[in-house]
Amino acid sequence: MNSVQVTAAIVGVLLAGSILLLVRRTHLHGSHALWWLAVAGAILLLGVFPPVIDWVGRLTGIHYPPVIPIIIGIGMILVRLLKMDIDRSRSERQLRRLTQKLAILEQELAQLRRDKPHRLSGKGAKVIPLPKSGDG
Amino acid sequence: MPDYAPNLLTVIPARNEAATVGEIVRRVRAAVGGDVLVVNDASDDDTSARARQAGAVVLDLPLRLGAWGAAQTGLRYARRNRYAVALTLDADGQHHPEELPRLVSSWLASGANVAIGTFPQRLSKAKRLAWRYFHLITGIGVQDFTSGLRVYDRRAIRALAAREASLLDYQDLGVLMLLRQRGLRLAEVPTPMSQRRNGGSRVFSSWPMVMRYMLHTTVLCFAQIGTARQAARA
Repeated sequence: MNSVQVTAAIVGVLLAGSILLLVRRTHLHGSHALWWLAVAGAILLLGVFPPVIDWVGRLTGIHYPPVIPIIIGIGMILVRLLKMDIDRSRSERQLRRLTQKLAILEQELAQLRRDKPHRLSGKGAKVIPLPKSGDG
Repeated sequence: MPDYAPNLLTVIPARNEAATVGEIVRRVRAAVGGDVLVVNDASDDDTSARARQAGAVVLDLPLRLGAWGAAQTGLRYARRNRYAVALTLDADGQHHPEELPRLVSSWLASGANVAIGTFPQRLSKAKRLAWRYFHLITGIGVQDFTSGLRVYDRRAIRALAAREASLLDYQDLGVLMLLRQRGLRLAEVPTPMSQRRNGGSRVFSSWPMVMRYMLHTTVLCFAQIGTARQAARA
């Protein structure tokens, strides 16, 4: 095992370890964690077994195999960035709609309080016992 | 007009308009009747209190959503409470509430789903050029896309309250293209307006802003190519 392999292996192990730690502390959501674990696995594999790259090079007809991980890496980064922007647009839409709904419901609640103060004041409120879990 | 009053909601998006909003609400109530809704876009001043004092229903947005986000909140309120007609106008005094009855009757006479009150005389040369460019790439023949003075019927309210309209940033071409995509008809009604009292246009305030707006809207137009034809076939 030469020094390049050792470096790549260390990077892969560190990355995989950090990701596992982040998942355990719930900083990273499930599906994202899976992606990053796969990335760490790929770095580990390519670092420890560089011949894999030469084999892929022969298979695809690329005469200079060292560019293969770079090309694949940049491609993956682009896909990931695109996915992030799609997700961001979706959350932005959800946030806007939630904000609008909150304002509408707040107004309705205030209106209800004005119309029927005794019902919502809490003083005359009837306590409804919750059914025990497991019933029915 | 009076037949419409119980089913009519006037939506006034307002952000830091405490100076004018009360007066506008009172003038709208006098001119058209019906209910008046002020959507307070996270103002820093007492826009909300002034509007309430003047007799409007007020929705307070906890986060700033911009002019269209606030107007859409009003349309969602209109849909939820089953109003037949929604009017929108700006709170800064550039639209005259006294013109609303005439706008509504022109809209009724036109038979369109949406009417836009426009005042071509107030447009600067730059704006005219911009609108001619957008007319060329979208084919929408409205003289002033950004006018916030509008009448929407039930179908238009439903189309614009939907999720698809929530990622738009301005009440302009994006909204008009969505309406056209749904097969709704637009009418333009020339309406007298005054210049804005507090400050100028938010979009046309500086050259970088204009560039940003033009690029943003051009991309929006290209994303919509072909959708009008689909709607026509459906």
